[in-house]
Amino acid sequence: MWQQVEQALRQSAQQVLYKLASFLPALIALLLALVVMTAIGMGLAALLRRSLTAAKFDERLARNSSATISDWSPAHSPTALLARVVFWGCVAIGCFIGISAFDAAFPGESQISLFVLPYLTHSIGAVLLLIAGTLIARFLERSVLIGAVNAKLQYARFLSLGIKWLVLVLTAAMVLDHLQIGGAVVELAFGILFGGIVLTLALAVGLGSRDIVSRSLERSADLRSNLDPIPGDPDYKASTTSEPLRHF
Amino acid sequence: MASAQTNIDPSSNAVNAPNPASSLLISLGSLPQEAFDATLANLALAFPNDTVLVATPDAAPQLSSGGPLRLIPYTPTSVSATPWVLTAADYLNAYKLAQENNAATCLLLGAECQSLHPEAIRALAKSALTSDLAVAHYHLGPREGLANSAILYPVTRALFGTRPRFPLALDLGLSLRMAGRLAAVAQRFTATSQDDSFLWPLAEAATANFTIAEVEVIPRTLPQPNARDLNSLLALIAGSFFSDIDTKASFWQRARGTQPAPSLPQTVSVTEPPDIAPMLEAFRLAYSNLHEIWSLVLPPNSLLGLKKLSILQPENFRMPDNLWARIVYDFILAYRLRTINRGHLLGALTPLYLAWVASHLTLISTGTAPEKHIQDLALAFEADKPYLVSRWRWPDRFNP
Repeated sequence: MWQQVEQALRQSAQQVLYKLASFLPALIALLLALVVMTAIGMGLAALLRRSLTAAKFDERLARNSSATISDWSPAHSPTALLARVVFWGCVAIGCFIGISAFDAAFPGESQISLFVLPYLTHSIGAVLLLIAGTLIARFLERSVLIGAVNAKLQYARFLSLGIKWLVLVLTAAMVLDHLQIGGAVVELAFGILFGGIVLTLALAVGLGSRDIVSRSLERSADLRSNLDPIPGDPDYKASTTSEPLRHF
Repeated sequence: MASAQTNIDPSSNAVNAPNPASSLLISLGSLPQEAFDATLANLALAFPNDTVLVATPDAAPQLSSGGPLRLIPYTPTSVSATPWVLTAADYLNAYKLAQENNAATCLLLGAECQSLHPEAIRALAKSALTSDLAVAHYHLGPREGLANSAILYPVTRALFGTRPRFPLALDLGLSLRMAGRLAAVAQRFTATSQDDSFLWPLAEAATANFTIAEVEVIPRTLPQPNARDLNSLLALIAGSFFSDIDTKASFWQRARGTQPAPSLPQTVSVTEPPDIAPMLEAFRLAYSNLHEIWSLVLPPNSLLGLKKLSILQPENFRMPDNLWARIVYDFILAYRLRTINRGHLLGALTPLYLAWVASHLTLISTGTAPEKHIQDLALAFEADKPYLVSRWRWPDRFNP
């Protein structure tokens, strides 16, 4: 009996060691592909950054269009943005090559790349979705906040936060759907959350604007009394000063 | 003013052949018929003994052959969205016409130029003969031209060391080389269909080391922007201005010295106290909501100053000149560094500008002459220029 146990242990150890020994070259191939492509990406990005800087790409772009790609990523110039795209593109290609090399070098019968590659593609897509969604959420949040403050809306912050979370919830649902995680639960949760935020915003804006709307209606009915001027009303500024301000 | 790149109308050549004897070309914008007639009458009075070329986009009437004015009609390719200011297309157009008609100097008269007196037009033309750039100086009321007083004038004076009070003046006299320089800049914009872009002649002249003169133009009815709101207008003008500063950084970082302050009538305002409550309300609302965005742009000292300002009573509301100068400089820096989206940045400037306006109006209602305050403000900008230069050169290393 002990002989059989010993034999079973020896065979399993041999199998594990054999698989490890055959797995290692495949892993090294994957890592090598990734490192080489990362290095190529760094080189290409540096080259691109240098040539675009020499060509004054940022200045030309700023001059040629009022709303540039830098509006979406303001902390970085268009040159930096393009260089990063090239770098991360090379890294992604390195991942694909590495997985294919891993698959080719791995002697096992299971085609790992058949399962891993599509999922990796989906993962990259999900990451891109997440980045884009976060950028758009931040951009819209600030746009709404500044616009609402300049329009003198008291609930400006609430409105901007509502917009931000609407976009973030939508992004999260899209990411999970892209990764095929959660299934119907995500759709249901998204519907509830999205609807809830929209309803909350509608109620808040509606209730917050009640006074303004009622006063506008009273004015239009020529029932002007001693009410304060209404922001947004055409004669708002004129009624506040006898001599109007001229900014330009 | 009529804007947009122009096509010279070939059909008009027979009637309005170039006159080699004329050395002055006056470029007009599109005017209503009555205004156009009044302008022509003023021009005839201004130059009774000279032959003057008048470029107009309007249908030119037949003038008597013995008169001093010779009309040159041209066809604008599009209608300007900002007729209340001179645009890139106007400069380019004026230069082309001046070159084609062998004019040595040209005058650009903006919208509502029918209100210009013949003496003022003559003075502008005379000044353009002796200097490369003659800029009109208007006498405005204490509640007029506030954006110019708050930002455009003090920053231009501090950075470029120029004296004229209106960097975005509507009426200009240009030598041919100045017109050529402006046309070259304008060409960059019109080539990309940005015909309505603003140009900053004072900065251009200072950069090229051209001579600049200022001419009193009194009275003058200044056209007002159409129905656009303050936020978009301020963003439009400040954005163009900040962009121009960014382009000319290599010049103004080296520029030293400033022009002496002009001796201007410092009349004390006798107007009734203004209602600054809406502006203060806008500022306080912004302070409670935009603090996070401002903190990305402004250093702690400025934020502290704004905090103190937000709790002041309306009658004591006074924004220190050095605080406003620092705020504007930090916004210029943030525009350059793209600390936040540029549209957001300029939008976040509006409530601060309104706070400055409220402070300015409060101050002048206490008896301070408006012009004195503007000159003091300009001095504050000049004194703080080393801060801008230092942070421009080393944005990360120098952060007070």
